[in-house]
Amino acid sequence: MVTRLWAETVVALFTLAYGLTIVWGALEFGIGWDTSGPEAGAFPFYTGMLVALGSLATLALTWSKRLSGRDMLAEVVLDGERIHRVASFFLPILGFVILCATLGMYVATVVYLVFTMRFQGGFGWLRTLTVAIGSAVFFYLALERFFHIPLMKGPLEAALGL
Amino acid sequence: MDNVASLMHGFSVAISFHHIALMIAGVLLGILVGVLPGLGAPNGVSLMLPLTFSMDPVSAIILLTSLYWGALFGGSTTSILFNIPGEPSSVATTFDGHPMAKQGKATEALSLAFLSAGFGALAGVILITVLSSWVAGFALRFSSPEFFAVYFITFASFIGLGGASPFKTIVAMCVGFSLASIGMDTVSGSVRLTFGFDVLLAGVSFLIAVIGLFGVGELLLTMEDGLSFRGIAAKVRLGDVLRTAAKLPRYWLALLRSAAIGIWMGITPGGPTAASFLSYAMAKRSSRNPEKFGKGEPEGVISPETADHAAGSAAMLPMLALGIPGSATAAVMMGGLMIWGLNPGPTLFTDRPDFVWGLIASMYLGNIVAVITVLATVPLFASILRIPFSIIGPLIIVVCFIGAYTVAGKPFDLWIALAFGIVGYAFKKLDYPIAPMILAMVIGDKAEDAFRQSMIFSQGSLSIFWSNALVSTLMGIGLMLLFMPLIGATIRRMRGQAVSRTA
Repeated sequence: MVTRLWAETVVALFTLAYGLTIVWGALEFGIGWDTSGPEAGAFPFYTGMLVALGSLATLALTWSKRLSGRDMLAEVVLDGERIHRVASFFLPILGFVILCATLGMYVATVVYLVFTMRFQGGFGWLRTLTVAIGSAVFFYLALERFFHIPLMKGPLEAALGL
Repeated sequence: MDNVASLMHGFSVAISFHHIALMIAGVLLGILVGVLPGLGAPNGVSLMLPLTFSMDPVSAIILLTSLYWGALFGGSTTSILFNIPGEPSSVATTFDGHPMAKQGKATEALSLAFLSAGFGALAGVILITVLSSWVAGFALRFSSPEFFAVYFITFASFIGLGGASPFKTIVAMCVGFSLASIGMDTVSGSVRLTFGFDVLLAGVSFLIAVIGLFGVGELLLTMEDGLSFRGIAAKVRLGDVLRTAAKLPRYWLALLRSAAIGIWMGITPGGPTAASFLSYAMAKRSSRNPEKFGKGEPEGVISPETADHAAGSAAMLPMLALGIPGSATAAVMMGGLMIWGLNPGPTLFTDRPDFVWGLIASMYLGNIVAVITVLATVPLFASILRIPFSIIGPLIIVVCFIGAYTVAGKPFDLWIALAFGIVGYAFKKLDYPIAPMILAMVIGDKAEDAFRQSMIFSQGSLSIFWSNALVSTLMGIGLMLLFMPLIGATIRRMRGQAVSRTA
């Protein structure tokens, strides 16, 4: 269970941290004036600063609403069921990206689609494999052959000599 | 008329078998992208862009703009038949379009939507034809401070008119600006903000950001809501279309008003989504029987559709003439122009008239091709949504990540796309606006250059933004837009006091 209050707080803290990181990174390049005009860090410094200030304002606004009792922001933005649905969609995507980096994109596509269709969607093996392998072949023909854009390949493609 | 001659020349560039074929292909892909939830117009254009790197710019822009028109049409189709907006800008079409479809008037609703959308788009294109070279000519007088002032107006209007919390808009926008400054600094030549990571040397591509924010993020949100399609079957017969077309002139007032709203919102960066909602609200307010809205009132379909497409095409005007995109999709296309080696802005009209007028001519043709194609293929595309989402969702994910990889062939981009997916999900959930972030990423470098050059002119004094009548006026407009919410609140408070005193 995640309420609006905490969701707003966490995201604002995240953007605050991001803004400060940019400010810190910009300081390295100088934020002042040199012979040729403003130094390289000046623009990122101010944009990072605005991100940080905007985040602080959002934080202040959120908590002032809560503390003054005008709006408790207690509505649930994510309940258990929703978390489950998002996670069961997101985690396979994470797996897919890891597989892309290790086994190449074609193998990853097949494995990912087999997992989502067979084990999450409950489709039969025939339909699953048709869609999964069909997609990989389609991307191979369309990108590598037609547009001459190579995708990431892994050990399997090397073994097949593609 | 100079423009008419230029336009005729444009037609001679645009009309060729190759280009018409590209238009049809683009529209079909666009409808597909628009029909599928999670794949919107900005995303579709981002995914196609790497495939156009080897094309000539005129063919490439024709393909991408046609894809855009197709996506706008596809979004309306699902709104009407499935009550699921395929695009954020077609949300308002669900209010009356779906009730009409449920009453058995699906064909009428679809034809009304497509025809009024075509009308809106043409209104936008005519405006571009008439005004673009004038605006570009005017903008030729701009130097760095004026350009910075115009960028300022763009972003100020997001903050002042966007509707989201101004602080959230500032955060989203400045995150975009800071992402744009990662990597090589074009002025000093030094490498900035990579924090020692070599993968960041080339910067963060806005295309990856769009794919993550609009594609992955949108899908996560769709999955969270637990999607189920309950569609209404539709067959489009020519007779029904013609009968609906004959009814259209009756709604001339709604058409004209909505086109005007759309054009205004397209030129200012309000974008198609805001335009369609505003137009719907105006139609309801000015109607003699507002209680019919939401229950299948034809005007409730015509108004948002006309405004949506008028805004979509009008957004091309500031992109071409000033180098400032009026919507997220236009921002992606402008990024494309820069990748193809073109420089969007006033000089484009003198440097590449072939490209500009070919594009404008193709917008006339593209919209006509789109209306015909969409009417012919609606049943086919509607059947795509009968495929279970547990197949479609993962397939879209695969397309998104393969698309992200094709942008630059960098494995690390997959992780960036994933990160943007999470950011997009969180931002959408908490009403952080995404469009200003994309715009900032695309024009961040140009805005920074304009600012730095202005500072060099003035030896570091901000007074250069008030140094002549032109730049002062532009900055004044920007400041007014920025403080619009405050001004509005003050006026309301003063009026409130006045009322309480008289009462």
